[in-house]
Amino acid sequence: MRYREKAKLKLSILTVLAVLVAMTMSNTGAHADEIVCISCHGAMPGKYGEPVKLWRGSIHEENGIACNACHGGDPRDAANAMKKERGFLGAPTYNEVPGFCGRCHVGVLKDYLASRHGRALATGGPNCVVCHGNHHVVKASLELINEKSCSRCHSYDRAKLIKGAMQETEGIIVALDSRIEGYKQQGTDTDRLEKELFSLRNRFHSLFHNVDVTKVTAESATIQAELKKLATALNGLDEQRQRRKVGGAVAVAIALAAALLAHLMRKTYE
Amino acid sequence: MDLLKRLYKWVDVRIGADEVVKKELTGYLLPRNINVWYSMGSVLLVIFSLQVISGMLLLIYYVPDADKAFKSVSYIMNNVPYGWLFRLIHAVGSNMMVLVLLLHMLSVLFMGSYKSPREFNWLTGFILLTLVQGISLTGYLLPWSQLSFWATTVATNSANAIPVAGPYLVEFLRGGKLVGPPTIGRFFALHVAVIPAGIAALIAAHLFVLKRTGVSTPPFGRGDTTNQWKADSYRYEDHPGGIPFFPNYALEDLRSVFIYLAIFLAVVFYYPYLFFPKDAFLPANSLVTPAHIKPEWYFLANYQTLKLFPNELIGLSVQAVAMTFLALLPFIDRGRERHPLKRPLFLACAIGGLLLWIGLSIWGHYS
Repeated sequence: MRYREKAKLKLSILTVLAVLVAMTMSNTGAHADEIVCISCHGAMPGKYGEPVKLWRGSIHEENGIACNACHGGDPRDAANAMKKERGFLGAPTYNEVPGFCGRCHVGVLKDYLASRHGRALATGGPNCVVCHGNHHVVKASLELINEKSCSRCHSYDRAKLIKGAMQETEGIIVALDSRIEGYKQQGTDTDRLEKELFSLRNRFHSLFHNVDVTKVTAESATIQAELKKLATALNGLDEQRQRRKVGGAVAVAIALAAALLAHLMRKTYE
Repeated sequence: MDLLKRLYKWVDVRIGADEVVKKELTGYLLPRNINVWYSMGSVLLVIFSLQVISGMLLLIYYVPDADKAFKSVSYIMNNVPYGWLFRLIHAVGSNMMVLVLLLHMLSVLFMGSYKSPREFNWLTGFILLTLVQGISLTGYLLPWSQLSFWATTVATNSANAIPVAGPYLVEFLRGGKLVGPPTIGRFFALHVAVIPAGIAALIAAHLFVLKRTGVSTPPFGRGDTTNQWKADSYRYEDHPGGIPFFPNYALEDLRSVFIYLAIFLAVVFYYPYLFFPKDAFLPANSLVTPAHIKPEWYFLANYQTLKLFPNELIGLSVQAVAMTFLALLPFIDRGRERHPLKRPLFLACAIGGLLLWIGLSIWGHYS
């Protein structure tokens, strides 16, 4: 009897140890706070998993805009994530896409609907994802206007003219963006600069959907004047950094001189 | 001048200052062949002091709250006069502190200064190293940046591998299942109160045992390089005919301190972002995991070791064994010889270990 009890106890201890070892080995480090759409769909093969793969590396992911921001639903409750009563919208139809994106990109929707592309939507004209892609949405830039993309539907000639008129301003925006990003990565408060550039970029990019070259040229000149103010602010930061470096050089020189003095005094006592 | 002398005399007749100066400064003799590595301790004291001062200045504006911490650090960097300088001094200083501490320990290791009767010196120094790593780790979270958040998530997650107690320990450290607002409160308390108090106590203990054992003689430039200590009774290692601490070695200490400050300031003003990956200036976001989150350079070898083993428990155990071996080195290495070139086995193991650590760190950085 006593032997049987001992054997039972040993078996229980072994079972507990085995469970603990299994728990330790199964620790994959998954983060519970990750939204459930990504956890489930990310592991799925084929068309159900593809959107997550495409979303990774998109401008939306970069800005923390996840699945539920567009498709609705409850990202914290796996069992009910895709229920209508939790606000799940599913995938929009072809013609619904502009309205879908336009819930956030309000100004762009307005420009698009006024453009030739938008006006042709009902008769098979391109919706947002035709040019911008779906899920793997990248930052809007002039690169989107290219022969390969545009000539899928019409000739590239007019688009090329528009692109040429916008090239210089786009170059300034890209350069300023890179300078602001550089300062941001050094802990500089670039919030105001970022917001202003964001606003100017949006104003400029709203011209993308326009096909009037004269209007594009005139508007670009106004935007460039605004961008110049941002460049002046960044030049101020450059000067401030330069002054800091001069101060640093003086501080290092004083420390080295003090070290030399201590060394010479030490030699006199030797 | 006469006034100063009169003031000194006034103090001396009251507290015996002259006696203290003779005993602790001008009469405190050090080995004639003492070298520059012996000044690392003084450099470390200066670094600790700078960390305390810059930390106190940061405390004036820093807010240890998950909603306000990042903004308060940004405010310090951009709006407080010279706030950027104090923040960079504190952040770069924490890295330099670990670096100089490692150099100090390596010099002690290679000169065999950890040997009897200096076991306490080594042990207190070793605990100081772990406390310095602890204070750096807890300070890492405080800016509440993406880097802080995710590096702390990874670091605290490692404790999960400890059987039975692991999950409880993780929850205790984080103040919840995940890194969040309670974690910052805990880490803040550890960073500004608990660990600094521990470090101050350990420094006091380290200096006390140094004063009681006396400064060790370097094993270089002498015929007999063996340890002369006998375990029969307490003996203070004095150095008759040695050089006085003041002014001779104090000036050498001062020279090392200023050379350190020149290097340190050069990093602060010219390469401060050496220790700041780009995620260090983005606010913490629990929904966006950065692609390649890495710990600080001095934890890279530990990080890579964990990745090398199929199970984190084995990785942690290997590190625990290595750390225990290092902590108990004076009790394991009982040989009397102190000159590194006369200890080929020790030299091979020490250089091999050092290269392994550097190799693992580089691997960890690029993996």
